[in-house]
Amino acid sequence: MTPQQLSRIREEFTREGVMICFNGAFAHSIIEEIGNALRRYLQDQEEKKSAALDVFAVYIEQAQNIRAYLARKQFREPEAANAIIVIARRGERYVVSSGNIVEAEDQHALAGRLEEIRGADAAALKRMFRERLRSDTRSAGGGAGMGLIEVARRCTQPLEYAFHPLDAGHSFFTLTAVV
Amino acid sequence: MDLNIPRTGTTPEIRWDPAAGVLSISGESYPENSFDFFAPVQQWLSMSLASLPGLRVEVSVSYMNSSSIKCMLDLFDALGDAHAAGKKVNVVWNYETDNPRALDLAEEFRSEVSFPFLVHAIGS
Repeated sequence: MTPQQLSRIREEFTREGVMICFNGAFAHSIIEEIGNALRRYLQDQEEKKSAALDVFAVYIEQAQNIRAYLARKQFREPEAANAIIVIARRGERYVVSSGNIVEAEDQHALAGRLEEIRGADAAALKRMFRERLRSDTRSAGGGAGMGLIEVARRCTQPLEYAFHPLDAGHSFFTLTAVV
Repeated sequence: MDLNIPRTGTTPEIRWDPAAGVLSISGESYPENSFDFFAPVQQWLSMSLASLPGLRVEVSVSYMNSSSIKCMLDLFDALGDAHAAGKKVNVVWNYETDNPRALDLAEEFRSEVSFPFLVHAIGS
């Protein structure tokens, strides 16, 4: 990486208020270490306890969702097995953004769930959470697909997402949560 | 029957105290696979509830990821079945007063169960 590239990245990060950025393989140990760093950082910032807890929770749910999805898919290409997560501060808010490759066959269901979640108010989210909690489904992480609902419940605005087509079979999925 | 799962960075300590009749769960819970982590606990609980007159579960977990919440509810369902069959079961959920999310979580569980469930504040 040239000094100019590094400088550009730094400028971009500063402009966006990036605190932590990780691009690579989301192993459980990595998720844990970054989570600990995040918590220490928030503590140093003397962030209000509930906000710090929410940022941490949103980070964990997003990162673990990605880890479980990529583990299930077993993409062979290294670029596909890597994902990105960014935690930034935007004024009074914290923004957790993540990006990972998804297969076209998964896009429709994922978009459907996100639209349902986006359209739900706090009471509806609580109801959706309870329904999922009580259902018999088991997701890859051993839960019941409640992670996205949990993220939305902690956010101060609707989840933002996008699918950027890469080739016939894959898209780059991004999710932004604002706490 | 023994149950003694030591705490890790992402999983709680789970310990059975036969003298006190208390199963304590303490720490944080965000394992790589919650189902795999809680499976032995679920198994232990089924067997213990069959042979014991009852037990208490003391929870002091400050953070749980969503899949842990699901697994915890599965444990509480087993307690609920035992309660309905006449066993003496109860849960004490300890939360720190400076952790508003921990109280929310406790209340959510409390509203899902039908056996004695005490939410206990620990000052800081």
